Amino acid sequence: MTEQNKSLLSPDAVGNAQARISRLVSGLRQVLLGKEETIDEVVAALLAHGHVLLEGLPGLGKTELVKALSRLLSLDFRRIQFTPDLLPTDITGSHILQERDGRKDFVFHPGPVFTNLLLADEINRASPKTQAALLEAMQERRVTTFGETRALPNPFFVLATQNPIELEGTYPLPEAQLDRFTFKVEISGVERSVLEEILVTRVHGVPPTLEPVIHANELQELFAMVDAVFLPRAVANYIARLVAATHPKSPEAPEHVRNFVKYGSSPRGAIAIGAAARGLALLRGKPNVGFDEVRRIAAPALAHRLVLDYSARLEGYDGRRVVAALLDGVSEVERGLPQTLEAR
Amino acid sequence: MNPLPDPVASVLRRLRRRLTIGVFLDIWPRWAFGSLLSAGVVAISCRLFIPRAASALNWLWFAPVIASIPAVLLTLSRSYRPEQIAALADSLKGGEGTLLAVLEIQDPAWVSSRTIAGFSQLPMPRLRAWRKLGAIVPAVTFLAIALMMPQRTPAAEKGMLANDIAADLQATLNELKKQDVITPNEDKEFQDEIERIRKDASEKLDASSWEASDAMREKFAAKLAEKQDAMKWAADSLSNFAAAGDSDASMTKALAGELGTAIDKLSQTGLLANAPADLQKLLGGKDAIAGGKTQLPKDAASLRKLAASLSKYLAGRSGELAAIGKLGKEAGRFDPTEFPLFSDERGPDGDGDPGSGGINRGRGDADLTWGKESALTDRFKSVPLPPGSYRSPDDWTPLAVLPGAPKESPEPSLASSGVQFAGITGPAAVRRTLAPRHYSAVKKYFENSK
Repeated sequence: MTEQNKSLLSPDAVGNAQARISRLVSGLRQVLLGKEETIDEVVAALLAHGHVLLEGLPGLGKTELVKALSRLLSLDFRRIQFTPDLLPTDITGSHILQERDGRKDFVFHPGPVFTNLLLADEINRASPKTQAALLEAMQERRVTTFGETRALPNPFFVLATQNPIELEGTYPLPEAQLDRFTFKVEISGVERSVLEEILVTRVHGVPPTLEPVIHANELQELFAMVDAVFLPRAVANYIARLVAATHPKSPEAPEHVRNFVKYGSSPRGAIAIGAAARGLALLRGKPNVGFDEVRRIAAPALAHRLVLDYSARLEGYDGRRVVAALLDGVSEVERGLPQTLEAR
Repeated sequence: MNPLPDPVASVLRRLRRRLTIGVFLDIWPRWAFGSLLSAGVVAISCRLFIPRAASALNWLWFAPVIASIPAVLLTLSRSYRPEQIAALADSLKGGEGTLLAVLEIQDPAWVSSRTIAGFSQLPMPRLRAWRKLGAIVPAVTFLAIALMMPQRTPAAEKGMLANDIAADLQATLNELKKQDVITPNEDKEFQDEIERIRKDASEKLDASSWEASDAMREKFAAKLAEKQDAMKWAADSLSNFAAAGDSDASMTKALAGELGTAIDKLSQTGLLANAPADLQKLLGGKDAIAGGKTQLPKDAASLRKLAASLSKYLAGRSGELAAIGKLGKEAGRFDPTEFPLFSDERGPDGDGDPGSGGINRGRGDADLTWGKESALTDRFKSVPLPPGSYRSPDDWTPLAVLPGAPKESPEPSLASSGVQFAGITGPAAVRRTLAPRHYSAVKKYFENSK
């Protein structure tokens, strides 16, 4: 357990970090046009050592985003196309009987999970057993096979994608596995102007070639700086109240939460918000987290952690709408303005 | 807040003052409302029961001022702490969190940053006092109405009036007693009646109290008139007896008998109770007079002596009774001359009947008539009804269809809509849109399975 620093990052350090992160962001924006908010969320999650679940229709650039990220960060990148017949050992690796030095022995052959950046494409097409193989890897950042535990490379990120349609023959991710994703980022369709830009700049739809902008040692420095971003007590209190209010039995729960949510977020949700808000604050050039970062991060961090009641579906509410209602219902400061005062 | 630049610290101090005012205005209106209501209740109570406090009631307008004392104390106990003020300031500025971080860590490198300097332009929250103060208006109105109420007559004055009524009657009775025109029995009866009127009036003082008083005076007058009549009868009998002389023995005897009856009546009214001793002796003594069974003397000489003595006595008493007779006139007996409009015997409508409406429906106890009644032996005759008619569906055929009238459109029946979705199974069936009319059925199903 590490406590946060009792000093703020210097303005110069914050400026340098922001400049580096901005290079990464601008590179990603060259690949994924018109998706600034999605890119900010993915970068903030990566800076917080988090995994991201990307959900969107085919052809919206989910895979390209992940590939661009690996190129810009000069990280090792592997891709697994999840199918119903994929086995856990296809991910973690397995021991193969092999002759070495005149004797036969089981030799471990690492699977694709031994990488820095793992793209789990269409993760909901694999069987629950195979999906569960990712659990230990994502949470503990290590893999156990044949009783032997091996650490995964540092950094290790999982960026999974899933398609919200064509649900025939799919296995929805269980809540326990969803909880391990820092963010669930929904990638929506592109606007007409963006389509026009794509047609003009990309003849065959191939994105521009990217060069690494952040090297491994710089990335480690950035991680250290993200951890040093200060989280004020009042903002931590706001995060705690937000997450507590996701539970329908909480006295602070807004009406929509009480009506539509069956189970609220785990403490992991609050940790994810705190960590990702630090990353976003550094991306914005700030030495501390503010209320606005928390509000910005809350929806992707909490929406997939809420187990909604059947009535939410009947009324057309999804996780993001419930979180929006939550943000409206929980004030930033624990003790707000007196009733006779009104903010301008 | 020491590490902050002066302009920012000044803004935070302004925010603290404004928050304190806001807290006070959150608290005070409730107290003011309660105090004004209490003052209104006190005002109503004083108007009803405590007339002496009427002059001091306007001081109740100071109730809200007094209520501000506990409100101030509560405001001080609930005032915002410095970290709460900083959090609010940061939130009002957009929620960047830098002010919070600087105040918590006091890092000099960021104290002079542009972000912190921007707090000198913090938008102060606006005061919306009328939201709370509006609730006081009904309470102020209540107190104003309570103070405008007329002062109620207290129960003590009611008792005083009852005593006045009884005292007037008692004075009349005392006057009658002084003139020796009522007997002890009558005196007791009147005393009891006066006490009853006084008691009734002290319990409920209204028009009936004065009506009872008037009725009592009428009783006095009636009793006085009765005594005057007895005296007049005695005087007439005496004059007749004196005029007859000794001319006719049978006439004299008859007149003496009438005189005896008149004297008996006079003694029953109590007017002979204080007669001179010689007169009482001639009439058979005090006991005979008190019992109303006087005896006239047998011999003519004694009879003449009695006539002379009684005449002298009645002459003296008649003057006194005439003076007392005024009481009867003051008693409010009905005097037709006071009502000239109704003095005409034929009445205002001229028909001579009670009521002035001009419509005479006859006496109330007149026999009722039932018109033409059938005899018991009559038989009812059957009368056939007119023939009816059947309505044809053509009667409802529209004559014209106006443009814009709604047209029928074939809705899919329940069976056909079932067929429409019969092929959809699996997750696609789960994602199928649920018609609003089926919401209740689905909710019921899931709630039963909980």
